[in-house]
Amino acid sequence: MIQLTNLNKQFGQTIAVNDMNMTLEPGKVMGLIGQNGAGKTTTFRLILNFIAPTSGDITWNGHPITQSDKQKIGFLPEERGLYQKLTIEEQILYFSELHGMTRSDAKIALADWLKRLDVVGKATDKVQSLSKGNAQKIQMIAALIFNPEFIILDEPFSGLDPVNTSIMMNEIVRMRDNGAMIIFSSHDMNNVTKISDNLTMLKQGKIVLQGGVQEIREQFGRTKVYVEGPFSKAELASIAGVIHINQQGAGFDITINDEATGHQIFDFVTRNGYIPAFSQQPPTLDDIFRQEVALS
Amino acid sequence: MNSGLIIVMKQTFRSHFKTRGYWLLVLSPIIFAVVVGGIIFGVTQMQGNTTPTVAVIGNSQVRQVFIHDEKALGIKISKITDSQKANRSLTAQDLDGILTLNSENATLTTQPKSNTINKEAFVSVLGNISRSQKAASYGLTAKQTQDLIQPFNLKSVVKQSNNKSTNGENSDTANYAIAIAIGIITTVIVMWYASMIATEIANEKSSRIMETLLAATSASIQYFGKIIGIFALAVTHLLIYIIAGAIGYAILQNNTMLDGIKQTFSGVTLGFTLYAIAFILIAVALYLVLTAMIASLINDNAQVQQAIQPITFLATTGYMFSFIMTNMPNNFAIKILSYVPFISQSMMPVRLVTKVETWPAAILSLVISFVTLIVLAWFGKNIYAKNVLSYSDDKIMSQLIKNIKNIKN
Repeated sequence: MIQLTNLNKQFGQTIAVNDMNMTLEPGKVMGLIGQNGAGKTTTFRLILNFIAPTSGDITWNGHPITQSDKQKIGFLPEERGLYQKLTIEEQILYFSELHGMTRSDAKIALADWLKRLDVVGKATDKVQSLSKGNAQKIQMIAALIFNPEFIILDEPFSGLDPVNTSIMMNEIVRMRDNGAMIIFSSHDMNNVTKISDNLTMLKQGKIVLQGGVQEIREQFGRTKVYVEGPFSKAELASIAGVIHINQQGAGFDITINDEATGHQIFDFVTRNGYIPAFSQQPPTLDDIFRQEVALS
Repeated sequence: MNSGLIIVMKQTFRSHFKTRGYWLLVLSPIIFAVVVGGIIFGVTQMQGNTTPTVAVIGNSQVRQVFIHDEKALGIKISKITDSQKANRSLTAQDLDGILTLNSENATLTTQPKSNTINKEAFVSVLGNISRSQKAASYGLTAKQTQDLIQPFNLKSVVKQSNNKSTNGENSDTANYAIAIAIGIITTVIVMWYASMIATEIANEKSSRIMETLLAATSASIQYFGKIIGIFALAVTHLLIYIIAGAIGYAILQNNTMLDGIKQTFSGVTLGFTLYAIAFILIAVALYLVLTAMIASLINDNAQVQQAIQPITFLATTGYMFSFIMTNMPNNFAIKILSYVPFISQSMMPVRLVTKVETWPAAILSLVISFVTLIVLAWFGKNIYAKNVLSYSDDKIMSQLIKNIKNIKN
């Protein structure tokens, strides 16, 4: 278990991380979200001991993270970097060795990973000959091939197309199912929702939201309604408690002030019987994120 | 040894050792030497036999002496003993010279296309013959005659400050050659490998590979692993030359040119050779440590030249001083500089071989460099760890000064 306790980091007068507390558990994925400069990468750098905290503790099973613990950490940095002149194999074997894996084991595992991640190219190809997407997959393999116990992924999906995003997400889920502790940052709330068990939202270095994804969404109440049927925007707007209506394809996205308003909308839209769609949900993470950002 | 350190070291070594660039670096001087040697050999072959053929006319006894000393004089004595026949051969350019002997003097006649004849050696031989003949006429014994014609033995002795006198066995040419060789080897190796380690670190830092590396290992492992890896490449480079030299020596064992070189450097002892090698290696390590430290301040590859410029300048300064030193070895500033790390490797070995300094002074200079290496390595490790993941817009030197101030505080 990784525990961040009262963690603070200050750069001159700027507070990058402000009294952060967080627990990462084996077999769970923590999504770390926040605007640019919210302190996500700084948090990762603190955990990896790239920079020292101003105050606070970071522990792994109750003790500070040691050099031998670091060998069990898989890290995918935000800014990707590989040795362009080396082959995929040379590169992966080197990183694997640094994480305590033997070259022969790494060689066997690499063949499996290349196949599973659908990398276009051979292990003997130089990295400089790879496309951006494939290079990103190689970087992911470098971070995960040694089956790390703790995984830190800084923006793992940035720059990936939907197919490759889905491949990467499957790998994260697979590693989680194998019992790894995972923390990742992303700006894509859809992806965060899909794979995160827990969520931490940072604003100016401070945690503004933390907990299970569904639990956080429910905190905001089921204030989002989607309906499709034979009625007009004006009719819906006339219902008391409706704050905002947005035409969304064949239906309407309605923001309401209270969960109970949803009942009134339901009664109104079903007064003549069947309608193709009615859904009352808590706000999406994207909505919550925007709402929190707007508060600043 | 730490396994992480070995992995980084091996990777640094392996990734460069396998490149075409490294082998081009290693082989180009050998190829150059072989090509130049081949050209010299080809030109010599094209010239044909350059040993001058000389007819000795007038005195059969003297002719016998010349036949006996043929090899030492670098000539071939013709079978012709008749003056007219010899003159015809000389005109036909079949002979290079005619040595005509009279009772009191001798004449050496050559033609415009004659191969070079060593006249001083002729004068020496003829002088000895003349003195022997005169001694015999004075009624001196053979022993007295031999004693009389024995050349005066002038021994070269260098008086040292501790009153110990030793032979200055090497010629000035040899000492000068040693000074140049040590200077060139150190400067060239430093420039090649300083650039290599700077590029390596700059590449890892600018491409952000460093973050991936430091997630698994510590900055000090990366720092020392790279320095040792590059140092091992430099040592391998030197070993390849030593092996190539040994092979060349075995092949050219009976070559007269090699004999001449061996004779010239006869004063270079095994002790001195080991000392010079140790000094070169410590100096290379010192420069690598300094370069690694400065390279950690680089933001991208474009700054590599900016970073290694002062290092190249420093290495060249030592080389320049080694030239000044050969002309004024006792200058006080030169004496001091031969103890200053980064410069001393170009000066102290030469001062030792020319007997300007004694072994204790030479060892002291080596120890100073070694201690500096240890201190700088420790200091450099801290600067590397602090900067290798930070990116500053300041100039490299101002960053370095800032870092030095911060570490002091």
